Amino acid sequence: MNRRHFIRTSVLAGGGLMLTIPSIAMNEHPHDVAIAETNGALSDLLKIAPDGQVRYQFIKHEMGQGVSTAMAMIIAEELCADWQKVKIDFPDTDLKKFQNDKYGGYDTGGSCTIIYQWDTLRKAGATARQMLIAAAAKQWNTTPENCYAKDHFVVNRLSSQRIDFGALATLAAQMTVSSEVLLKDPKDFQLIGKPKSAKLIPSMVTGSLQYGLDIKVPGMLYAVIARCPVFKGKLKSFDAKAALKIKGVKKVFTTQPIAGLQTETPYMPHDIREGVVVVADSFWAAKKGRDALVLVWDDGINAQYNSEDFKTLAAQRARHRTDPTGFVGDANAMADVRHVRTTLHASYVFPHQLHSCMEPLNCTAHASDNGCELWLGSQAPNLVVTELQRVFRFSEERIKVHCFPSGGGFGRRYYPDMAVEAAFISREAGNVPVKMIWTREDDQQHNLGHLFQHMEYQAALDKDNTLFAWYEKEICTYTWGAKYADAQLPGMAYHIPNIRYDFEDMTGEELVHSSAWRGVVGHGRFYSECFIDEIAASVKKDPYAFRLGLLEGDRDVLPNDANRFPGAKVRRVLTLAAEKSQWGKKMAPGSGQGMAVCPYGTSCCAVIAEVLVRDNKLTVTKIVIGVDCGKVVNPSGASNQITGGIVWGLTALFYGGLPIVKGRAVHTNFHQNKLLRMQECPDMEVYFVDSDDEKPQGIGEISSPLAIPAVLNAIYAATGKRIRTVPLDLSLFTS
Amino acid sequence: MATIDLNINGVKMSFDVDPQMPLLWVIRDYAGLTGTKYGCGIAQCGACTVHIDGAAVRSCSMTAQAASTKKIVTIEGLSKNGEHPLQLAWQEEDVPQCGYCQSGQIMQAAAFLSQHPNPSDDEITKAMTGNLCRCGTYQRIHKAVKAAAQAKK
Repeated sequence: MNRRHFIRTSVLAGGGLMLTIPSIAMNEHPHDVAIAETNGALSDLLKIAPDGQVRYQFIKHEMGQGVSTAMAMIIAEELCADWQKVKIDFPDTDLKKFQNDKYGGYDTGGSCTIIYQWDTLRKAGATARQMLIAAAAKQWNTTPENCYAKDHFVVNRLSSQRIDFGALATLAAQMTVSSEVLLKDPKDFQLIGKPKSAKLIPSMVTGSLQYGLDIKVPGMLYAVIARCPVFKGKLKSFDAKAALKIKGVKKVFTTQPIAGLQTETPYMPHDIREGVVVVADSFWAAKKGRDALVLVWDDGINAQYNSEDFKTLAAQRARHRTDPTGFVGDANAMADVRHVRTTLHASYVFPHQLHSCMEPLNCTAHASDNGCELWLGSQAPNLVVTELQRVFRFSEERIKVHCFPSGGGFGRRYYPDMAVEAAFISREAGNVPVKMIWTREDDQQHNLGHLFQHMEYQAALDKDNTLFAWYEKEICTYTWGAKYADAQLPGMAYHIPNIRYDFEDMTGEELVHSSAWRGVVGHGRFYSECFIDEIAASVKKDPYAFRLGLLEGDRDVLPNDANRFPGAKVRRVLTLAAEKSQWGKKMAPGSGQGMAVCPYGTSCCAVIAEVLVRDNKLTVTKIVIGVDCGKVVNPSGASNQITGGIVWGLTALFYGGLPIVKGRAVHTNFHQNKLLRMQECPDMEVYFVDSDDEKPQGIGEISSPLAIPAVLNAIYAATGKRIRTVPLDLSLFTS
Repeated sequence: MATIDLNINGVKMSFDVDPQMPLLWVIRDYAGLTGTKYGCGIAQCGACTVHIDGAAVRSCSMTAQAASTKKIVTIEGLSKNGEHPLQLAWQEEDVPQCGYCQSGQIMQAAAFLSQHPNPSDDEITKAMTGNLCRCGTYQRIHKAVKAAAQAKK
């Protein structure tokens, strides 16, 4: 059903214009059918003040992906605003005003925002522009056709008079919203397509931007939690005598009442571990208090296992067929002796990963009878509200969330567990405001992680060495949905007549609670690009030529749950990257090139890596990335997402994983769970296809999952070593 | 508890805190200057970098007591209105993504450039490699440090 929402304006208190796109529920009796319509309910969206300031009310989550800047550019473009006068506000939650539907609302993830809001934001900006023009026309006693908007002014074509937006805003708010929205011709774009620095930078570089961790409210206390070191373990007993003696420590109590309260929906895990809270008048005292706790855990069954045990178990599951989750052609083609001459087989593993958001998880909460006020950075503050309602029976009107940009979300900040923890602590501490902080050690040892993925591949070649069948079994610990949205359509653009995809869920046996990561669940699945390389090698074909052969015919592909994606675009972006990296150029001994290409959602990316193995050391020397993300709104921000994603993937490649021994995470901080550093960062070059797409597509997650197969393929080219897991065992490169 | 006297950004302050409390937490929670960030607490990430008598120091690994006779400068005190060449270069090159590590990056770079006004590419990398960035902005950090060094000349 196509929900139509009607753009409205009103006069702000103090003058000026407020442009609103209310939800349809609030708009049951539209008084005028001839009102501009759009798809998204974005509620109070845009304020234009009498001084000319344009304030964009941004309710998605800004976590470094640059979405607030890109969305602001879209509105500012159609509005014909002076970019310097556009500011971004992060309003508090209000679930009645800002409803969560596909096109609007809070939740931020899956690289979707720009796809769903492009149209709505253009219409909103254009509508405001038209009303400003109407207001000016009225003042000049002329018609709108005789006016145009430019750089924060409405200009009279005939007289060359001009009035700035601020002076017009209040009158504009009272004009009738036109039913016909006049969008700009893209060739007239002044902002969209030009590189712009992120709007928040001035506050970032002066230290004035507030993140959730920076909040301080009057009377605030601090809390840290000692969480069970083993997933699904229980707290047996604790002794707080020594902790309570520490100066500053106020209260110690258990979190058992909120532990293990996972919601019904399987893809929303935020299982809170049992533990003990220390509340104090400083973070340092709380931490010292926690160190002084005597804790006895009932570790539970997971304490019997190491991560290696789980890996073995998953490998065992890989060996048998389940019912296919999706297939094209013949589901049993691999066994068809009439056609199959040779088969290949390989197992790949992508282990659990940490998110390692630079801003440690935190939430400040001030509970009251029947309600709670919270301060945090969250990718889904709507879930914070609904979870608090569910767990504490707070009423929705009495839950207020103050939203902040975060120091990294990457999927981890989608889950509302830290809000549940903080609200509980505040209530138990006597309805006082409490800032609950996860230390980096907590973050690394007692956290959710990227799911574990074992990918089992088989390929069958016929007598002509043509790729006849592809079999893939994914065994993983978190089901955001199996890979193929439609069982009859392929998730790869390669023209393989028979493709079968099996799936097995091992969530019940996980040693770490699994969750969405950057790329959601994509990273393990992109190992398919390594297996394609293995097939190419077996038929002695160049990896690029082999892929081009399989892409002939431009088959449509259905990645994730997105619309059909044309195979021609996959070929185009791969060709771009191949050209820019001079694929096939002569490489020095010990060096090699490797490629990986895949659509992600409605975008597509090709990564070509170059590596050098010399003096017992592996170096990634260069990465070239071709990108098709449709219309590029902010080339600078988009490029940042691509290169940042490469660094993300390389971190997993070199240092990733989440080793567990006797149920406990082994790594405690960054000296063990390492992140890539500047000295290990390769040269990166980003190229966008010359797209005639009118719409922008997602960008935040498309490069990271391809960095790994590209480098693994390059390592093979350089050394002949085929590596099928991460993190790399660097001793492989010592001779 | 003890009274610790600190000189932060030219302002003298006194706080009654545990003398073993890391300088980072006194700066953030007592002086109210939250531009200096907590990332790891063990000097692995550099988000907490401040200047102590002009040198870059990881404030998570220094007690407030030890800093009490020294001149402390935080990101808030690096310039009056964000006009330090590094801050301008960060804006020009569109360096930050989430921005959380960037105070530490800038403070590290500022101390480095004040000692090495004409650095090579390798020297910049060596100086900055102690600062982690999860968003992966390293390539642009390097470019901006280089640009700021040029601008200062």
